[in-house]
Amino acid sequence: MNGARVEFRGLRRTFGTAVALDGLDLTVEPGELIALLGPSGCGKTTALRCVAGFERPDAGAVLVDGDDITRVPANRRDAGMVFQSYSLFPNLNARDNVAFGMRVRKAPAAKRHARAAELLELVGLPTHGDRYPHQLSGGQQQRVALARALALEPRVLLLDEPLSALDAKVRVTLREEIRRLQLSLGITTIFVTHDQEEALSIADHVAVLKEGRLEQSGPPAEIYDRPATPFVAEFVGTMNHLPGRLSGDEVEVIGQRLPVQGHTPGATDVDVLVRPETVLVTPAEDGEALVVTSSFRGSSVRLLLRLDDGTEILADLPGHDATRLAPGGRAGIRLVERPVLVAPRTAAPVEVLTAAE
Amino acid sequence: MAALTPTVLPDVSAPAHVPGRPRRVRVWRGVVLVVAALYFLAPLLASFIFTVNDPTQGFTLDAYGEIFPADGFAQSLLLSLGLAVATIVVVLALTLPAMLAVRLSAPRLRPVMEVVCTLPLVVPPITFVAGISTVLRWGPDYLATTPFYQTVMAIQNPSFPVVLVIADVVLALPFVYRALDSGLGAMDVRTLVEAARNCGASWPHVVFRVIIPNLKSGLASASFLTLALVLGEYTVARLLGFQPFSVWIVTVSGANAAMSVAVSIFSLLLTWLLLLILSTVGTRQRSGP
Amino acid sequence: MAETLATAPVDLPPGNPVRGGGSRTRSKGWTAALPLLVFVGLAFGIPALALLGGAFTSNGSLSSANLTASLQGAYLTALLGSVKLSALVAVVGAVLGTFLAQAVVTSRFRALREAVLTASGVLANFGGVPLAFAWIATLGNSGVLTTRLNLGDHGWSLYSFWGLALVYLYFSIPLMVLVVVPALDGLRPQWREAAQNNGASAWQFWRYVGIPVLTPTLLGGVVLLFGGAFAAYATAAAMVGTVVPLVTLQIADALTGNVLIGHENVALALSFDMIVVAGLVMAVYLPLQRRSARWLR
Repeated sequence: MNGARVEFRGLRRTFGTAVALDGLDLTVEPGELIALLGPSGCGKTTALRCVAGFERPDAGAVLVDGDDITRVPANRRDAGMVFQSYSLFPNLNARDNVAFGMRVRKAPAAKRHARAAELLELVGLPTHGDRYPHQLSGGQQQRVALARALALEPRVLLLDEPLSALDAKVRVTLREEIRRLQLSLGITTIFVTHDQEEALSIADHVAVLKEGRLEQSGPPAEIYDRPATPFVAEFVGTMNHLPGRLSGDEVEVIGQRLPVQGHTPGATDVDVLVRPETVLVTPAEDGEALVVTSSFRGSSVRLLLRLDDGTEILADLPGHDATRLAPGGRAGIRLVERPVLVAPRTAAPVEVLTAAE
Repeated sequence: MAALTPTVLPDVSAPAHVPGRPRRVRVWRGVVLVVAALYFLAPLLASFIFTVNDPTQGFTLDAYGEIFPADGFAQSLLLSLGLAVATIVVVLALTLPAMLAVRLSAPRLRPVMEVVCTLPLVVPPITFVAGISTVLRWGPDYLATTPFYQTVMAIQNPSFPVVLVIADVVLALPFVYRALDSGLGAMDVRTLVEAARNCGASWPHVVFRVIIPNLKSGLASASFLTLALVLGEYTVARLLGFQPFSVWIVTVSGANAAMSVAVSIFSLLLTWLLLLILSTVGTRQRSGP
Repeated sequence: MAETLATAPVDLPPGNPVRGGGSRTRSKGWTAALPLLVFVGLAFGIPALALLGGAFTSNGSLSSANLTASLQGAYLTALLGSVKLSALVAVVGAVLGTFLAQAVVTSRFRALREAVLTASGVLANFGGVPLAFAWIATLGNSGVLTTRLNLGDHGWSLYSFWGLALVYLYFSIPLMVLVVVPALDGLRPQWREAAQNNGASAWQFWRYVGIPVLTPTLLGGVVLLFGGAFAAYATAAAMVGTVVPLVTLQIADALTGNVLIGHENVALALSFDMIVVAGLVMAVYLPLQRRSARWLR
């Protein structure tokens, strides 16, 4: 196992008046792939750059296998990094890009080339060694960048939104390859992304950041199913905000009583957070909801429904179930019986809904 | 040069307390900027001192006072400005339609345009004027009995030598081409034109209401470069025997050294003033609607 | 092709049912470019032909005698003098201009950057006679600095090869700044960081990435500065007269009849030599520029 343990301890970094990191504490276990997830400006990239050595924290420390590396210059760190885009050296072909670190370390040319060929093979570009960056597609460039980051056998791999500049399809295949490679090499990997689907699909752990602080960290399923805070619930996946009324440790929402998970706000009038896929919709002439729109997404269909009191609800259901739920029709609604998260009532639930979209 | 070497030294011991770039880098930057400022300001300051410091009287502004009444001053300056205006009008009238055509309907002309507009860079003005003077000598030698003779004589009329406009247009082509090309590159001409035509605009309307307003900064820099070129153009005018402002300065320099330097400063300030006017036109457009 | 056809209907004036708009559009493209092409053909072509004709005829018949003469004696000295001066100014100007540009580009003060770029735009065009006079007033025989610092006693003369080089740098360095600033802006911070991430020091980054990426631009700048210094006439004429042998001064002398009658054609041959040198230099520049444009997209 050649992965290292990475620890962030009370990391703080400000840029002028903007606080990028506000006391971040997080531990990444050896060989684990952790995704730092959050909206732009939440400090996730700054945290990554503190590991790479491009940013120096104002306070706190970064530890790799227990050693404080905060003051180590960037070019002496044992961490390979893949940047968002266009980071390949334009004057070098793919092979020389990959071999750059070995050239800097004065490795003999034969050894460099052998290692570069090996790495290009590993990232699926065995025949592209002679191509220059401008002759490679965006996905190929990122593969070369990945090979270059791995060339010096670092103990930590840092990925700074490496897929965000790529086409949707390439993004999915490449992220799966990154995961496969990471598992086979057993390298500790920190993956920064603002795409929650990306984070959930490949990470061992997801750490959600908000305003420079850790909001929640846990396995993807836990983050999705049991978000610790309304922010996490909102940011990861889509959430309905339905008006509810607390009574004891249960909440009453559209005619159902559901157990409440996590802590409850003081007020009795609350927003109940419900995932679209936990809304069960059945066609019914006398149903309580009106189907407003229906958008087809291939395997599933997302319906926007409106209750008679004006509450709007999003519901996801399998594509073939939705054929009888055309816009304008009526439907009955039930929620899956499971604990739900509640939040203080927001003034304009509809707006939040669209924002979550 | 020793002060510049730190940039290339490896960053061995990064200072512990400075986040971001090491302090050393800032030192060489400061040194470079100070040396540059000295080098570039010294002649300007020294020239000014030269003009106001009379060995016998001390401080005096006489040199500047002598400029305006000097023989030929107004005449040559007006000639230069007239040539500049004519050159700007002609060069824009020639290049703008051609460049729009290249962008809109004849992309295959692009290499031709590029070659045509780069050629004058390859040909130093002095060789150009050598060619022109040879042609002009044909006038009396071969063409005396033909109508061409009248033309050749007419373009050499000393009160407004058209031949200088022709030469200046050729010399300005590369600069105008590049300024307009970057201006046109910054906007999507094709889409703009198609959108305007789609809204029912006529061609003149498209050119004058859509393209030119969007191209203002490109046109401004093209005009400025041409203006600076014509005002400073000495080689062609001098060797063809005309006397615009730049040649006049040399003619008066023999008589009064302080005044000729004063005129130089005056012409520099004039250029700056014009640049300022043109660049405000450009910036207002950029920050505008 | 498809694009031309697609725009064709839009090109038609309303109410004009002309068919075959495609070819019409294309011919309009040519027509709009025609005045420029004709103008350059006449204004540039005729003098160029006259120059060639004059350079290669002697006493009315085709000969290379003028050309041979232009590559001998004082003429050759002048040509070499010009090449030497221009090469010196180009290389030194390019190096200093690059350092100045880097100092400006890495500065956090936006106003400084704007000021330097504007000043460069003005100074790069500040050639000719006023420039010569400004330097004469500064470092000429009775110049302000010469007299204050008693430079004359130390053997200083502005009217020399080195003096001329100092003056030429005054417009060459700003020109280099204008050329190289976009290229320096095009150096992506990711490249520096990726290099660091691979263990490279600052020097190694410049050695393996920065300088190679900038090389086309730098060489392009050198070529441009060379061309500018090589073609300069006014500054030299106003400053040194004929003290420093330069090809532009020789041509002017021959044209204005300061030398023997009948040497006009040698002047034309010298001009031809100059064009050849400038053309060679340009032939180096254009491919380089294309390459750097590709890298620094």
